[in-house]
Amino acid sequence: MSVFLAVLWKDLQLEWRSRDRLVAMLVFSALVVVVFHFALPGGAGAGTRMHAPGLLWVATVFAALLGLGRSFALELENDALAGLALAPAERGWIFLGKWAANVAILGLVQVVTAVVFGVVFEVDLVPVAGRLALVALLGNLGICAIGTLAAAVAVRTRFRELLLPLLVLPLLWPVLSGAVRATAELIATGRLAFEPVQLLIVADAAYLVASFVSFEFVLDE
Amino acid sequence: MIRASGAVLAAVAALWAVAVAGAPADAMQGAIQKILYVHVPAALGAYLGFLGTALCGALYLRGGAERWDRMAIASAEVGVVFCTLNIATGPIWARGTWGHWWAWDPRLTMTLLLWFIYLAYLLLRSFTEGSERTARFAAVYGLLGALAIPLNYFAIRLFGGAAMHPDNLERESLGPGMGWPFLLGMLAAAAAFAHLLALRFDLETRRVARAHDLASHGE
Repeated sequence: MSVFLAVLWKDLQLEWRSRDRLVAMLVFSALVVVVFHFALPGGAGAGTRMHAPGLLWVATVFAALLGLGRSFALELENDALAGLALAPAERGWIFLGKWAANVAILGLVQVVTAVVFGVVFEVDLVPVAGRLALVALLGNLGICAIGTLAAAVAVRTRFRELLLPLLVLPLLWPVLSGAVRATAELIATGRLAFEPVQLLIVADAAYLVASFVSFEFVLDE
Repeated sequence: MIRASGAVLAAVAALWAVAVAGAPADAMQGAIQKILYVHVPAALGAYLGFLGTALCGALYLRGGAERWDRMAIASAEVGVVFCTLNIATGPIWARGTWGHWWAWDPRLTMTLLLWFIYLAYLLLRSFTEGSERTARFAAVYGLLGALAIPLNYFAIRLFGGAAMHPDNLERESLGPGMGWPFLLGMLAAAAAFAHLLALRFDLETRRVARAHDLASHGE
């Protein structure tokens, strides 16, 4: 447990001092919105509102992939990863520490991305802010669970930036489909739909447990 | 082992070819319906391959015996070949019958995702250095892929969508005279899977032995 807190605190402190990842992810997700504006037939606006939930999550996933790739890259310097592996603790807790730090960083990015989307797509998110935050958090937990494990794998391979999305995206399907459907329902009716949220919870729990257990085989000296 | 599986495959495949040639043409679809005898057996080969990959990966992680890893890569590669065959024959059939190449039908989407997961598995293997690390990473990813199968299925079911595929095989969906070629097709796919698996396993064993040889001479 103390390992969990130590890793989490270290990662957040590191991020706070440099703010590299956070700034890159924020700029990237804002850029994705601009790209959507040029890619959509009518531009980003009220007319293309029906696409907003899907696009919001696409922007989130892309930004997450960008940040997750860096999550373990830092640990390669000075063989810090070997140091982590040698820590006298259950390795699953190290995973949870990295995961929680990624969740926190992605959460900040999600808040800003949601505000930008609300403005450019002219969707009033304020009345559903609380429920949307819940859906966003559930999606975030799943993305980071599978993403943190995959990042730990990808960082020890050649072409790691190339491999990470290939590993993560096909596994991310259940999380993404649940999150997009729940968000769409929320924007359309203001209600929290049961089925997609159920899917999100099941997928999050499955991926989190699987990653916690298998991290032991991923981290090596 | 390889000779025996080859002989079984040759015998079953010959029977299957005769049965398919003699099978009645579908009243509505005509000759193109016979693609069924390739399309569904190919899916069987894919599922065998992917389940085998996950199972061998789990056995490797548990016991660490290196032969399970060789079996896992053989299983994954053969599974991807069958899955490709399945995904390639589907649109040909759909285009000829419904006039559409592709519909985001739940089973189709599911198979496509599986194909991507195990392609990523093969890429992961080729991008990782160090045989022991490759085996460990691949085993973990193969298990996650197997975990994703029910989750993906659930996710796609939620989306609903038009189902072009029949729900299950128990239904009396096959016409008279189509049962035997179908069954022989499934047996032929299982035999082909076993034979290819044995060949690929043998190849991997030789490759590992050769790598060991080279390493020991290099010292």
